[in-house]
Amino acid sequence: MNPESPLIHAKHVFRAAILLLAVLIAMLLGRSLFVPETWGEFGPYRGAAVAEHRDKPIRHGGNDSCAMCHDAEYAEHAGGEHASVQCESCHGPVAFHVDLEEGEVVAEMPVHRSRELCELCHLRLEARPADFPQVDVREHVLSNGGEFTPDACFECHDPHSPI
Amino acid sequence: MARHDKDSARPLIPISRREFLNRSSSALAGSMVIALILPEGSSAGIAGADYDWDRHRWVYLIDTTKCIGCGSCVRACRAENSVPEDMYRTWVERYEIPAEGEAFIDSPDGAEHGFDPVATGLSVRKGFFVPKLCNHCDATPCIQVCPVGASFATRDGVVLVDPEHCIGCGYCVQACPYGSRFINPTTHTADKCTLCYHRITTGRKTACVEICPVGARRLGDRKNPDDEVIEILATQRVEVLQPELLTRPQAFYLGLDMEVR
Repeated sequence: MNPESPLIHAKHVFRAAILLLAVLIAMLLGRSLFVPETWGEFGPYRGAAVAEHRDKPIRHGGNDSCAMCHDAEYAEHAGGEHASVQCESCHGPVAFHVDLEEGEVVAEMPVHRSRELCELCHLRLEARPADFPQVDVREHVLSNGGEFTPDACFECHDPHSPI
Repeated sequence: MARHDKDSARPLIPISRREFLNRSSSALAGSMVIALILPEGSSAGIAGADYDWDRHRWVYLIDTTKCIGCGSCVRACRAENSVPEDMYRTWVERYEIPAEGEAFIDSPDGAEHGFDPVATGLSVRKGFFVPKLCNHCDATPCIQVCPVGASFATRDGVVLVDPEHCIGCGYCVQACPYGSRFINPTTHTADKCTLCYHRITTGRKTACVEICPVGARRLGDRKNPDDEVIEILATQRVEVLQPELLTRPQAFYLGLDMEVR
């Protein structure tokens, strides 16, 4: 009996090792192809997604941004009954009116002169807090000698500083 | 019943127990080596940003006794976040509850155009509005079920969706017990309230909080020792929606009624 080389018996070990190495390389290759670059930066998700959410454009600027041009209206509004109502609550976001990057007016700010705007807050509803000022608009207008027109509210009330 | 035939009984695994344990321990060692190659989570803040998310922990407070149901928040949310038509990241529900019998609950167009009077035929003794949005739960079912890791919570407590990674399977939409998620019809990915992450990380309030004319919605920061909302959470009786689900919501309510789910 010839003494066999000990490597002959180790052949299957090498085969398995090569196979394992091939699987490992394939896995790492697949991983680098399919896993996003910033995956796992902060946790089991794509880390860059956080910054992407942060970088979305701001559209509501708050009353201070309106005051930069409309200081008279701002002052009148700030001293009136509607002081807690934001300009953008009725007019819409400032970004639709001014390009916030360039500081240029891009469109007219909407002015809603309709009863429906006032009714959003002041139409009498059973679910509204009882101490909040609310009226049956039709009855309120008619009993005050007005005409029940679409802009009836504005005959008596200035929305910037109503009484 | 051949399996129980004594003559044909053979060991299921043709190796000894000792051999099996030896082999499996080396396989385990191998997989641990692979695990070491994978990248680890970093402990840094948002890279290159002037905002440290470890110094904030956002919460939300809704005072239902103040809400007038004007829907300004719903309109502001849509404008601020380009929310697609007929979809809502926040909405307002109306409750009219009679002394006896079923309550009347509605939310026409999510209250985007406010509410009209309704003839419920009920003798309403109790009525109120309840604004709703994502509760940014501490133990979210929505993140748990996402099969691809597109839903995640930021370190400052905001639950977000990565639209680049989302496959639009909708599991999270079903998993959320509060109905806060939807599939965006334009992008075909999951969409939800981001707590205006682009605003709160730059020193602003969320659009809905900013726009609310009666202060029914408020943003709080647990890591700010002088925060008024945190003071309210500490000293007043607050409630969360569906506490029995143990999702640990971070949107808190004042004046919630048992009819509200």
